[in-house]
Amino acid sequence: MKRLLGVALGVLTAIGGFVDIGDLVTNAVVGSRFGLSMVWVVAVGVVGICLFANMSGRVAAASGRATFEVIRERLGARAGLANLSASFLINLMTVTAEIGGVALALQLASSVYYLLWIPVAALAVWLVIWRVRFTIMENVAGLLGLTLIVFAVALFLLKPDWGALAGQLAPSVPEQETVWTYSYYAIALFGAAMTPYEVFFFSSGAVEEGWTVKDLLQERINVLVGFPLGGLLSVAIAACAAVVLLPAGISVTSLSQVILPVAEGAGKLGLAFVLVGIVAATFGAALETTLSSGYTLAQFFGWSWGKFRRPAEAARFHVAMIVCLLIGMAVLATGVDPVQVTEYSVVFSAIALPLTYLPVLIVANDPQYMHEHVNGRVVNVLGMVYLVIILVASLAAIPLMIVTGAGS
Amino acid sequence: MILGDLLGTPVHDPDGGWLGRVADARFVLDGPPHQLMAEPRLLGLVVSPHSVASFLGYERNGLTHPWLLARILRWRHRGSFLVLWEDIAMVGPRSVRLRPGFTRYSTALEDRRQV
Repeated sequence: MKRLLGVALGVLTAIGGFVDIGDLVTNAVVGSRFGLSMVWVVAVGVVGICLFANMSGRVAAASGRATFEVIRERLGARAGLANLSASFLINLMTVTAEIGGVALALQLASSVYYLLWIPVAALAVWLVIWRVRFTIMENVAGLLGLTLIVFAVALFLLKPDWGALAGQLAPSVPEQETVWTYSYYAIALFGAAMTPYEVFFFSSGAVEEGWTVKDLLQERINVLVGFPLGGLLSVAIAACAAVVLLPAGISVTSLSQVILPVAEGAGKLGLAFVLVGIVAATFGAALETTLSSGYTLAQFFGWSWGKFRRPAEAARFHVAMIVCLLIGMAVLATGVDPVQVTEYSVVFSAIALPLTYLPVLIVANDPQYMHEHVNGRVVNVLGMVYLVIILVASLAAIPLMIVTGAGS
Repeated sequence: MILGDLLGTPVHDPDGGWLGRVADARFVLDGPPHQLMAEPRLLGLVVSPHSVASFLGYERNGLTHPWLLARILRWRHRGSFLVLWEDIAMVGPRSVRLRPGFTRYSTALEDRRQV
């Protein structure tokens, strides 16, 4: 049981990265427009995040230093600040979106207008961050988020034509789409898989849990269970949309359409599960991104941080997170669509990727931090290949966004 | 003037010839750290003809991985050298001038890792 719960950090990190509110919708949009022709992007993303999360987890275990501390040290104050600005802005957008996501999910469950749920959601996030122990937080949010597996169950219950579905797996641009929109969504999916806040959260979580080199196996299991599971969930969501929504010509614009296939395939019980799952996943993502905001700020400016300290001992860390939640609430109060906010944040996160992952790769090779746990040759070759992919995605993100009108 | 302002400043030889720009400052510790703080002493400046961006740690000889990254970073700083503080004639806001007969020392650092 202890081993089983020991992967909670990886699972929660991955859920926040792969099936948060933006991804829930993006995956369904992709499934309903492109079928399964983008599964390969998710696969590339999963391998990439496994690679770099494993590196950052290993750095945290071997040196006790979280990723943003490493970024600050290696890139220096100026480049570190550039990365902080980008990452923090993305975090803030995502925090905003996730609180909205929790509220939207609660609206689906209760029929009470989502704006009324926003203060409740934000307060709940703050209470958990303020009071609940890190391990309990990750176990509960991680386990409940796993109920999203109902998307995979629903896919089986829908009894699709598996052969036809497998036929869609080849990367190809559907007739009604252009190569530009295809690339735009590919970058969005890739950016979502590799969002920097995942490694900030994962490595800081490793420090919170006090991992040392003795826990390297545990760290690797976390990575190899968590992120592929997250990828699987996101593919299942896309597949459900490809089976039900694509043939019906329904283009996804809201959360209620995302869960439509589950209702059709798995009925009321499935619907209940998926509602719990979406609330838990968005809530987990809200916790992850809010904490990431606090971690990055505190690690850049050298404040004491961590939930393992009492709030009074990490006052600036906690105040920063409270301010983030308040800003998120204020933005949502303007009536902006939370789903749209994360769709933008995912593309912006693609831009910030190189500045996050280059220092991780460099420090994972530095014996002064890592002693004998430096990267192996294969990991380095893969790391360099991914660095190039990341760089291309980051450079192409904004032009594609402009050319396609944000994918419309 | 703080030391950070010096980064990126052009460096000239005694005849006014352009040598590069200040990429880094090198310190040494003369003894073990004291109770509160170590006492670093400014040894000299690192002058780089092509780039004033950080070495990202690759000034240490022991770091050779990932191979391609190490090659690129070293190549960017090709021709860079360390000049001792004693060899610096003048530090101004817009340029640094060296004394006649200054010595170019290697910028490489021995990697004294403790495994």
